[in-house]
Amino acid sequence: MLCENCQQNPATVHVTQIVDGKVAKFHLCETCAQLKGLDVPEQALDLGNMLETLKEQLNQLQTASGPATLERAVTCPVCGTTRTEILKTGRMGCDHCYEAFTAEMLPVVMSLQHAEQHMGKVPQRSSKRMKASVEWVRLRRELEQAVAGENYEQAAHLRDQIKALTPVEAPT
Amino acid sequence: MKGDDSVTAPLTEEAYREAFGIVLSSRVRLARNLRGLPFPDRASPAIRADVLHRVCQAAKTELPVQDVLAGTERLFRQRLFEAHLISRSLLEERPESAVCMDEARHRAVMVNEEDHLRIQALRPGLALQGAWQDANALDDVLEQQLDYAFSSVLGYLTCCPTNVGTGMRASALMHLPGLVQMQEIEPIIRGLNKIGLTVRGRWGEGTAAIGHLFQVSNQMTLGLSENRIVKDLEQIVDELARHEANARERFKREQRRKATDLVARAEGVLLSARLMTTQEALERLSELRLGIALGLTKKIEMRTVDRLLLDVQPAHLQTLAERAMGRDERDEVRADRLRTALGRRPSRRTKRST
Repeated sequence: MLCENCQQNPATVHVTQIVDGKVAKFHLCETCAQLKGLDVPEQALDLGNMLETLKEQLNQLQTASGPATLERAVTCPVCGTTRTEILKTGRMGCDHCYEAFTAEMLPVVMSLQHAEQHMGKVPQRSSKRMKASVEWVRLRRELEQAVAGENYEQAAHLRDQIKALTPVEAPT
Repeated sequence: MKGDDSVTAPLTEEAYREAFGIVLSSRVRLARNLRGLPFPDRASPAIRADVLHRVCQAAKTELPVQDVLAGTERLFRQRLFEAHLISRSLLEERPESAVCMDEARHRAVMVNEEDHLRIQALRPGLALQGAWQDANALDDVLEQQLDYAFSSVLGYLTCCPTNVGTGMRASALMHLPGLVQMQEIEPIIRGLNKIGLTVRGRWGEGTAAIGHLFQVSNQMTLGLSENRIVKDLEQIVDELARHEANARERFKREQRRKATDLVARAEGVLLSARLMTTQEALERLSELRLGIALGLTKKIEMRTVDRLLLDVQPAHLQTLAERAMGRDERDEVRADRLRTALGRRPSRRTKRST
C-alpha cells in the first residue's frame, strides 16, 4: 500500500484516530506521518506501550462519545463485564465481549495489531464457510503480493485456488 | 531445553556449542479459550473448575503429567517457573489453575492462566518451525474435544486484545554477551521493535538483562499466518545470531585483554567463592559461557554451564538439596554447588579426617 499523502513511499504508519466518537484511518509513510505531526514513537510496538495505547484509546472513546454512547451496551450480556472495567484493565471478560463492544473494540484492536483480518489457523470444528472465508482472504492477499512481485506463475496458481474456493465461500 | 540430556547427550562439545551457543531454545505459545465461557478472571470458581476438568480430560493422553497448581507450595510452582513450564502469572497463586505436561517436558498446557488454555511447545536451539509444528499438533488433538472461542475476522478470541488472531507468541532464547560488550545491543533492540518484535531480558530488562539472556518474540498476532510468523522470526533470529557471532569475534580480537580478563575473573570467582547470590552466579556463568564459546577457557564444557544456569536458581537449588533453605544458606550451597560442578571440591568436604 502506498502512502495516502505523497503516493510515493510505502505506507508504514497506520493510524486509527478517534475524534468526536468517529473513527478516522490514515495510511502514511514515516516522513509524511511526521510532517503531519502524527506521533511515531520509537518503541511503539512494545507490549507495555501497546497496552497503554489501548487504554488511552478506550479513554478517548469514553470522553469523546459522552452520554449518547453510555446508553449503548455498557455491560456484556454474557459475563457482565462493563465497558469501564475493560477500560481499566485492558482485558475482555469473555469471547462475547468482542461482539458486545464491537463498535469500540474493533478499531482499537485493528490499530494495535496493524491488521484487520485473521489469516491463520481455523479450528477444525468451525463451519466450512468460516474456514473458506479466512482462506479466501489469505489467498487474495498472497495473490496481490504475487502480482506486485511479478510472480505470475504463482499468481495463476493462487487464482486457481481462489476459484476452487468460490462455491462455498461468501465473505461479507 | 537446557539440561535435556536425551537431546544433547550424543553431541560432542563442539557440536553442542554450534547448535546451542547462541540460540538456547525456541518456544511457541498459543492462547485459546472455550466458547461461551467467561475468561478465568471473570469466571466463577465452578466454571473454572469445569474448564480445568475439561482441559485435563482432553489433554490426558498427550500430556499425562498433570499438576493442579492452586494450593501447592510456592517452591513447587517456582521450580516449574524457573524451568519455563509455567508463567509468572501462575507462579502467583491463581485459583483452579493447573499445568499438564508430557514426560519430556517439551509440551505443556497451562490451564486457567489469563486465558483458559496456554499451549506451549519448546525445542532446543533454533527450531521455531518445529516448535510451531509441535504446538499445532497438540492444539489439533485438544480441539477434538474442546470448542474454542473463534471469530472469522478476529481469529482466536483472547482475554487481552494484543493476543487475538493466531493467539501465538513465538520466541527464541538467545545468549548475546558479544553485542552487549560491543555496546551494539540497544540500537538492535530498537530496530527489532520497529519491525514488530519484542526483546526482553530472560531476567531483567534491556542491557541490564542478567546473564545476557534475551527473549526475542513476535508482537503482532493478527493478520499473519502462523507459518509466516515463525518463518519470519526464525530468519531474523538467525540473522541476529550471526551478528552476535561477529560481535564476539570482534570483542576477542579488538579487546583481547579485556575479554581474557572478563573470562578469567568469572572462572576465578565461580571456582573460589564461598557465598554466591543467584544474580552473581548467572552473570559469572554467562561470562564463562562466552569464554568457552571463544576458546578462552578450555577446561569446562558449555553444557555444564547450561545445566548450572538452571540449577543455581533458588527453587532448583532447594529441590536438589531436598530441603527448604533461607537466603543465606542458599548462597552458601549455591557457591558449593558451582565449585563442585566446575571442578573444585566444596568447602564442607575440605575437612579431612586423619
